[in-house]
Amino acid sequence: MDPQLVEVSQQFERFKAAFVSLTKFRSLPPLFENTPNANNELLLAREIYEHAVVLSVKIEDQDAFERDFFQLKPYYTDAGNRLPPSPQEYPILGLNLLRLLVQNRIAEFHTELELLSATALEDRCIKHAVELEQSFMEGAYNRVLSARQTAPHETYVYFMDLLAKTVRDEIAGCSEKAYDYLSINDTRQMLLFSSDQELLEYIKDEHPEWEVKNGSVYFQKAKECAPCKEIPSLQLINQTLSYARELERIV
Amino acid sequence: MTQDVEMKDHQTPSHSVSSAVPSTLQHLKEIASLIETGSYTKEVRRILRAIRLTFGLRRKLTASVLSSFLDFALQPGSEPHARLSSFLPKEDEHDMEVDTATSAVQAPAKHLLPELEMYSYLLVLLFLIDQKKYNEAKACASASIIRLKSLNRRTLDVIASRLYFYYSYSYELTGDLSEIRGNLLALHRIATLHHDELGQETLLNLLLRNYLHYNLYDQAEKLRSKAPRFEAHSNQQFCRYLFYLGQIRTIQLEYTDAKESLQQAARKAPVAARGFRIQCNKWAILVRLLLGEIPERTIFMQKGMEKALRPYFELTNAVRIGDLELFRTVAEKFASTFSADKTHNLIVRLRHNVIRTGLRNISISYSRISLADVAEKLRLNSETPVADAESIVAKAIRDGAIDAILDHANGWMVSKETGDIYSTNEPQIAFHSRIAFCLNMHNDAVRALRYPPNTHKEKESAEKRRERQQQEQELAKHIAEEDDDDF
Repeated sequence: MDPQLVEVSQQFERFKAAFVSLTKFRSLPPLFENTPNANNELLLAREIYEHAVVLSVKIEDQDAFERDFFQLKPYYTDAGNRLPPSPQEYPILGLNLLRLLVQNRIAEFHTELELLSATALEDRCIKHAVELEQSFMEGAYNRVLSARQTAPHETYVYFMDLLAKTVRDEIAGCSEKAYDYLSINDTRQMLLFSSDQELLEYIKDEHPEWEVKNGSVYFQKAKECAPCKEIPSLQLINQTLSYARELERIV
Repeated sequence: MTQDVEMKDHQTPSHSVSSAVPSTLQHLKEIASLIETGSYTKEVRRILRAIRLTFGLRRKLTASVLSSFLDFALQPGSEPHARLSSFLPKEDEHDMEVDTATSAVQAPAKHLLPELEMYSYLLVLLFLIDQKKYNEAKACASASIIRLKSLNRRTLDVIASRLYFYYSYSYELTGDLSEIRGNLLALHRIATLHHDELGQETLLNLLLRNYLHYNLYDQAEKLRSKAPRFEAHSNQQFCRYLFYLGQIRTIQLEYTDAKESLQQAARKAPVAARGFRIQCNKWAILVRLLLGEIPERTIFMQKGMEKALRPYFELTNAVRIGDLELFRTVAEKFASTFSADKTHNLIVRLRHNVIRTGLRNISISYSRISLADVAEKLRLNSETPVADAESIVAKAIRDGAIDAILDHANGWMVSKETGDIYSTNEPQIAFHSRIAFCLNMHNDAVRALRYPPNTHKEKESAEKRRERQQQEQELAKHIAEEDDDDF
């Protein structure tokens, strides 16, 4: 970690004290009491949580991100109509979508997506995440990777890097099914490695069943699933017995 | 009983013009007496019938009929009477006076049943909603809910569940659904503690509706998965539940389960509930498309639904052909319909299926095709079409959508010969699932035959059994005593 970040996270410790004192405000969720400075308190709290979310991305702590994001969310959803919209709202929501995508929590991704309004969906940051998901589902991995350059916000880069790793695993999985063999050069390009050495390391660690010979990678072994010759006798017996039992009940 | 009412309906016009008002009142009084007997004999069935009869009269309710009914059912001058009358507009003073006079003679100061009181609330609420007096309806519904909370009688459950429904409905009409969420949750808790299963069922649906209204799928699913489930008491509530469940599952990408729930909801719904069935069908069509199935033409041609399902029909067509361009134009053309149906996001998801279908068509028609041609045929609009096509094809192969092999050096996609499916276990599995389905259907049918869906009877019989057992015990005691005497 960069020394600056260490410093920042030390300051964050102090910043956490601010979280604790926040609990004294009775106007914050879930109480939402209508105190005289309710709006100011809500605004302050929202800003603190926004910073916390951004910080958690910078120190690359996904759990902290999730926690802070859920703390922040009520300020956008439940207190949204009382406060002026925050300029950070869409970038942060987009970040969260990206996080869900990286963690492969697609169901939650779509649940979150349903909560967004039509205007939110038009936003650059949100759109970015939505398009990424689409490309990802389609299998257009090139588009996913090139999206790193068009990341709408500096904080996105961290997740985009994580996504690149996920994409590599996906490509590897697809390739072994789709090709009989590939030249080492092509494999290296496809899996986004800069040297053959890295590629060979990766094959050794992740896919020992791939065979490297004559300057090519052979995937044959990985897909030896010949048609089933054996009769699954136990299963058949069970099924037949259950039919007999049911039929007896009918007759 | 229903026949009787219908016959009376036919007779009334033959009397005279003025008799229409008293006849509605007469019906209401009959219903009231039905409720009374139901409440005394603790027969929920009677109350259920009373409610059903009421909905036949719904159109005929007028302020004067209602106020005279209130005078009849509730003691004039009593607290509930005063409160309910305040919701009714004052009109037809003369008519009312006449009726009060007669009813006062008929019903001299009697004990007020809570069932009748709540029934009066329901009538007034129905009237207010029909008259589009939503703010009064909200006030009336809230008052009834407050009163309900203090009562705990099983004979009230049927009326209460109706009141819950209209309570939520009146708030939905004015767009303040989120206000009552806490209240509904509290009511659901009370119903659970009272073992009021019908109430739980109704309230759970209302809560799901409440959450889904604001697209809060996460909360809805959390509540649904934790709420107690039991065999359905009311077909309507069960249909609604299935529909909401289908929606939640669709959003969470569990398409197979979603399809089952939505189709069941559409099938179980009564024919009269056309709007509901259209909604179910719309969602079911999308889910089937997302699963890679193409719904049959007959679904779009169902009576009274052709027009509503038209956008979905064109969408299906685009997916079936696998034409991205056509798909895009259809999605744009009906964008407003889709966003009104809240299905816009699902349609965005469909793009991927369009590509898959297109790819499958290509793989069937060509034994070998260059990736550049694939990209062109799929109309992928991108800067690196060949590389995109290659990775898309690779993913389709991995997911089992097409059976082919890629040749990177030559840039080809080579389709494999379709293997003999009968050399695998596939046919056996398919056969098994069909047998299982038939056997299941038979078992369900047998179960449905043996126990008619009148579960209320069971509850009564449980109560009766307790009574009977008590009597038997007493009898046994007597006999034992007599035996003792004999000795």
